[in-house]
Amino acid sequence: MGYGGVAVGGDVSYYQQMIDSITDYEVIRLDENGVICSWHPGAERLTGYTASEIVGRPVSVFYLPEDIAAGRLEQELRTAVEKGRCETEGYRVRKDGSRFWAAVSVTPIRERDGSMVGYVKIARDLSERREQQLAALAVEQMLDAITDYEVIRLDAQGYVRSWSPGAQRLKGFAVEEVLGHHVSMFYTEEDVRAGLAEREMGIAARQERFEGEGWRVRKDGSRFWATVTLSPIRDEGGELIGFVKVARDLTERREQEQLLARQRDEILELSTPVIQVWDKVLVLPLIGTLDSLRAARLTEGLLERIARDQAEVVIMDISGVPAIDTDVAQHLLKTVEAARLMGTVSVLSGVRPETAQAIVHLGIELGTLRSRNTLRDALQLALRLVAGADRDTVDA
Amino acid sequence: MPEDVPIIRMGPNLLVALQGNLDDTTVEQIERAVTGEVARTQATGTLIDVSGLSIVDSFVARVLARLVAMIRLLGAEATIVGLQPAVAITLVELGVPMGHVRTALNAEQGMARLRGSRDEPDR
Repeated sequence: MGYGGVAVGGDVSYYQQMIDSITDYEVIRLDENGVICSWHPGAERLTGYTASEIVGRPVSVFYLPEDIAAGRLEQELRTAVEKGRCETEGYRVRKDGSRFWAAVSVTPIRERDGSMVGYVKIARDLSERREQQLAALAVEQMLDAITDYEVIRLDAQGYVRSWSPGAQRLKGFAVEEVLGHHVSMFYTEEDVRAGLAEREMGIAARQERFEGEGWRVRKDGSRFWATVTLSPIRDEGGELIGFVKVARDLTERREQEQLLARQRDEILELSTPVIQVWDKVLVLPLIGTLDSLRAARLTEGLLERIARDQAEVVIMDISGVPAIDTDVAQHLLKTVEAARLMGTVSVLSGVRPETAQAIVHLGIELGTLRSRNTLRDALQLALRLVAGADRDTVDA
Repeated sequence: MPEDVPIIRMGPNLLVALQGNLDDTTVEQIERAVTGEVARTQATGTLIDVSGLSIVDSFVARVLARLVAMIRLLGAEATIVGLQPAVAITLVELGVPMGHVRTALNAEQGMARLRGSRDEPDR
């Protein structure tokens, strides 16, 4: 037997029986021009051709037209002759025109004197493995395409088993700096001491998911506010084999939220000013639309000021309020009543004609609330009240 | 609340300073002590200072309203002083009826109001 060649002498029928018993592979012989000379059940199973249909036809019937045009068949045969063997993978065509991914090996057959008599071609259907490869590749590329998130895999003990460009972008670590390291390297010192990473994984394992937010550390030591999701990975038997960790940098959003809250507070502060116009007299000029948040803030701020300044009279000027609905009116009256319980008299001023109509049509009970047309009149009343005239007799 | 309810006499008026927590027993003590003292001294006015109460809820508010009604029945004027902002808001939100109860910011102002209102025909 020569190197890499296949014996052609000896008892051929034994070899044929051997080959016929191989059903997962196609093992056929070609002549030196690439014409098929032998066939067997494994080949029929793979390609769909019977022996009578295929023997005598060129092997090129299995190739895609574009591969033939590219001269791949000739190239493979030439390589086999030159190197003693040619192994390739690629799409081949069945009898019904469908394609399959084949691993093909072509080996030349030589006479004892070394002259070429043909080839042995062994092929196997690897479509399934190819599909899995493509799927895995797609997943990998998908993960790599996610750059706003960190998507990584941990083993059951929390050691990093995969890294992604998103993770690198987020944390600054290159893949070789983190693989095999424990996930706690991304946690702050306090959290490491508190065993936070282990606790999060414990929750994820028990509840099939963990979601949380917290400070994490970048390679350069800087902190960022991250939202983290941990999901367990299990094998077929349900055994925990690791975790998928998805993290995102929320620092910017958090800062924006805080800024927004601060600005809202400032605006509320500005929108509900309380002015002390006289000893023991406060004026609350209301401007713009009152929503419930603003109204609540207004009540709180006003009562605090009453307590601080020991104000006896409060003038609420609503000339700058475009419209008063039931909620706002009720809220104003509650404020008046709360101020009264503290011992302070309230005077309303600047009620517009349409507001007066609205309040009465809404059926809101005004009680003993005094009202004056203008802030000037209201102030006069307030001064008389403070001057000691009895508050129950001063009225008009 | 201590055993003895602190009641201070200031001329024709009384100042009752409520402190700490009110429960059923202390409320009874207070009502007994205040009504007894108003009757004994023939006081014309009574100030109830609530700034020392740790909690003012609807129970305490009802107690206060009751106390005011008792004092009025004895022919004296009653004023509640020293209600804190948070308490005032809570009472209004709870809808506790305190409409007829007179109030003042502090004891001084309360005294001035008691003096001014005494001789009014409608009171």
